[in-house]
Amino acid sequence: MTVLLELRGVSKSFAGIRVLKDVDFDVRPGEVHALMGENGAGKSTLIKIISGVHAPDEGGIIRIGDTQHKALSSRAAARGGIATVYQELLLFPELSVAENVFLGHAPRTRLGTLDWSLMRRQARQLLDSLDSHDLDVDAKVGTLSVANRQRVEIAKALSQNARVLIMDEPTAALADADVRRLMVVVKRLRERGVGIVYVSHKLPEVFETADRVTVLRDGALIGTHPIADVTEQSLVGMMVGRDIAQLFPKPVPNIGDVILRVKGLCFGDRVRDISFDLRRGEILGIAGLVGSGRTEMALTIFGITPATAGSIELDGRVISINSPRQARDLGIAYVPEDRGLQGLVRPMSIAQNVSMAALHRVTNGLFMRFAEEIRLAVEAIARLGIRARGPEQVVGQLSGGNQQKVVLGKWLATNPRILIMDEPTRGIDVGAKSEIHALMGKLAQEGMAIVMISSELPEVLGMADRVLVMNGGTSVATIDRAQASPETVGAAMTLATRSLEVAK
Amino acid sequence: MTWQKLLRHETILALLTVLALVVLASQSDKFFTLDNLLNQGRLMTEVGLIAVIMTFVIITGGIDLSVGSILGLVAVLLGVFWKNMGLPLPVAIGLGLMVGTLAGLINGLIITRFRVPPLIATLGTLALYRGIAEGISEARSVRGYPDWFFVLGQGQFWGVPVQLWILGVVTLVAAIILGTTVWGRGVYAVGHNETAARFSGLQADRIKLAIYAASGFAAALAAVIFVSRVSTTRSDMGTGIELDAITAVVLGGTSIFGGRGTIIGTILGLILIQALKNGLSLAGIKSDGTIVLIGAVLILTILLSNLFHRNGNR
Repeated sequence: MTVLLELRGVSKSFAGIRVLKDVDFDVRPGEVHALMGENGAGKSTLIKIISGVHAPDEGGIIRIGDTQHKALSSRAAARGGIATVYQELLLFPELSVAENVFLGHAPRTRLGTLDWSLMRRQARQLLDSLDSHDLDVDAKVGTLSVANRQRVEIAKALSQNARVLIMDEPTAALADADVRRLMVVVKRLRERGVGIVYVSHKLPEVFETADRVTVLRDGALIGTHPIADVTEQSLVGMMVGRDIAQLFPKPVPNIGDVILRVKGLCFGDRVRDISFDLRRGEILGIAGLVGSGRTEMALTIFGITPATAGSIELDGRVISINSPRQARDLGIAYVPEDRGLQGLVRPMSIAQNVSMAALHRVTNGLFMRFAEEIRLAVEAIARLGIRARGPEQVVGQLSGGNQQKVVLGKWLATNPRILIMDEPTRGIDVGAKSEIHALMGKLAQEGMAIVMISSELPEVLGMADRVLVMNGGTSVATIDRAQASPETVGAAMTLATRSLEVAK
Repeated sequence: MTWQKLLRHETILALLTVLALVVLASQSDKFFTLDNLLNQGRLMTEVGLIAVIMTFVIITGGIDLSVGSILGLVAVLLGVFWKNMGLPLPVAIGLGLMVGTLAGLINGLIITRFRVPPLIATLGTLALYRGIAEGISEARSVRGYPDWFFVLGQGQFWGVPVQLWILGVVTLVAAIILGTTVWGRGVYAVGHNETAARFSGLQADRIKLAIYAASGFAAALAAVIFVSRVSTTRSDMGTGIELDAITAVVLGGTSIFGGRGTIIGTILGLILIQALKNGLSLAGIKSDGTIVLIGAVLILTILLSNLFHRNGNR
C-alpha cells in the first residue's frame, strides 16, 4: 500500500529531556489517522516535527512519498504537501476570506498584480468543495464564527495542494452542530485521497471518523491499531497506562435536604423563568445546547449578572445575590467556562491564584500572611494532585488539566457549600478528566451540592444524580438518574426545541 | 532561577543608577556634594509623589494623564481660596487637597462606571481641568504667602528638605500597601486579568476608583509643595509633569500592560532621571541633549530587562 508520509525511529529532546522516543508513524492516502494521548504525551512535538517546526534528533527518518529526509524545514514540509490546521487559528481577522486563503501564494495577472477575480473564483470553488456554500469569500475573517474560520483554514491548506492535513483538536471550540459539519468535511477530504492526522481528546469523534489510531504516552509509541480493534475502555487504558475500571467513577450518593431553591429566575431575555431545587450531596447536571442559557443561568446565580426577576432561597431564606463577592460569602463557588479569561490569572503563581478568592484566610485583617498562603497552596496541590514544581510556579506554565485543578483549588479554599462547575473538563486530557470526576464524586459524598454544566452528554449521564435540560434560556425538563439516557435527555432537548418553535 | 532573580529589572536599574552617579560625579565636582544631592531631592519630590501613585495606576493597566492639570487646578484654587475668598491658608490647603482627590475620583468614575478607556478619559480631563484652571486664574498669579508656608517647599528638617520627608513617608506607605497587603494583591490581580479578579470576588471597580482618587490626591499634594517651593501660583504649573512621572514609572519596570511593577523600581527610575538631568547640565551638556539621553536610557533599560525575561509568561 502506498504511504504519503512515514516516520521511522524519530526522537526529539529539549534541553536533554527526551520528549519523543523512537516513534514510528505513517499516513496513508484517504485515511483519517487519529493521534491520541494525554497532555505531555508528545502529540504536539510529533505534529511539529511533521510540519517542520521542530527538527528531530539524529537517527530518525522522515519519508514523504519517495523522498527521504533526516529533518524537515517548514518549507520542505509545505512543498511535500503537509499542512496544519492549528488549534488557535492563524488567520488575519482584518482580511477577507479569499485573501486569507491565498495569502502568500495568490494568483497573479501578467502584469504581476493580484488577480482578484481568479482568486475569488478559486476561493469560492474550494469552499464549495467543503460544503460551505454559505460562506462569503469577501467577508472579513474577523466577523466569522470559529467554525467558519476553521473552514477557511482548511481551504487555505487545500489551496496549497495539501495531501497530508494535520488537524490539532479541531473540535475543541466548536458547538455540536458545527462538529457534525466538520465531520462531513473530514469525510469529504478523505474521499479526495487526503491523509488526515486527527488529534483529539474526544473519544466519540475518534470512533466516528478515524480509520486507524495511534496512541502516545510519555513520548513513547504505545501502538497503532485499526479503529475496529479497539474499544473506548482499551483506548483510555492505553493512554493513561492503567486500566480505568469505570469511565465515570461515581460513588453512591448521600443526598440530603434542599439547600438551594431557585424560583422563576430571570435575567433579561437570556435566562427566562428557571426553577429548580438543589440538595446537599447531589450532583445536578445541566444539559443543553450551546446558547441554551446554561452559562447565563450560572452567571446569574453567581451574581455576575444579577437576576432581574425571580427568587433564590438558600437554606429556606430568600437572598439576593448582586456580586460574585456576595455569592462567595454565601458559600457559592463558580468554576467558570473560560479558564484562561475568567478562572485564572495566568502570569501569577499557583499560590497567588489559590488564595485569590479566599484572601480573608491568608490575612491578619490588613497584611498578607505569606507563609499561610503557601500552606494553602501546598494543601491544594496535595489534595487535587496538581503536578507542578511547587506553589511558586506560574500557572500559565501548567497543562490544561492542572490549570483546571488550580481553579478548583481556588474555590475549594473558600470552603463552599454549593459548587457550580461550568464545563469542568473541557480541553482536558483523559487522565486529569477522570481525576476531576473522582473528586467531584467525593465532594458530593462529603455533602457539597454540585451543579455541573456540560456539553458532553456522557459526562452528564455518568456523573449527575439528576439532569436539568435547558433550552432557549429556560428549563424544559428534569430527569432522574435512573431514567436519564442519551435517548431521554436527547428527546427532551429536541422535543423542547419543537414545542418552542411551535410556540413561536 | 536564582540568577534570574538577581537580574530582576530593579537590580539592573540600580546598577545603572550607581553607574550613572559614578560617571556624573567624575564629570563635575559640584555633582556629588550633599547640598546638590539634597537640592535635587527637593526638585524631584513633585514628580515623585505623582509617580509613586502612578505606579498603582499603571499596574492596574490604566494611565492617568490628567495629573499635571489637577496640579495646575489645585495650585490656582489654593490662591483663590486664600487670597480672593480670604480663607485661612490651612483651610485653603485642605480644600485644595479635597478638590484634587475629587478630580481623581471623577476620573475613576468615568473609567469604571462608563467603561471609558483610561487613556481617553484622562486625556479628556487633562484638557478639562487645565481649562478650568486657566478660566479661574485669568492668567493672574498669586503671591505673598505667609512665611510659615514656605517651610513645606523650601525648609529643612534634620538637614533634609521637608518635602523629601513627605515623599519618603508616601513612598514607604505605598510600598508596604502594594507589597504586603491584601489590597495590594488585588491591585496586581486586577492588572493581570480583571475578569478573573472579578470572578474571584475581588472588587475591581472599587480598587480602581480608590487608585484614581489617590492619584488626584497626590497631584494636589504636589501642587501645594510646588506653590510653596516657587512662592507663587500660576495656572500653567505642572504642564507635562504627567509624562515625567510616567517615564519614571515605566523606567522602573512597571509594565504598561498592567500586572507588573514595584514602588522601589519607580523610585530608582526617578533618581536616575533626576541624576541625569542634573549631572549632565553640571557637566555642561545642553538640556536638549539630556532629553535625548533620557529617552535612550528608557528604551535601553526596557530592552535589557526584556532580554533577561524571555520566559514568555507575562
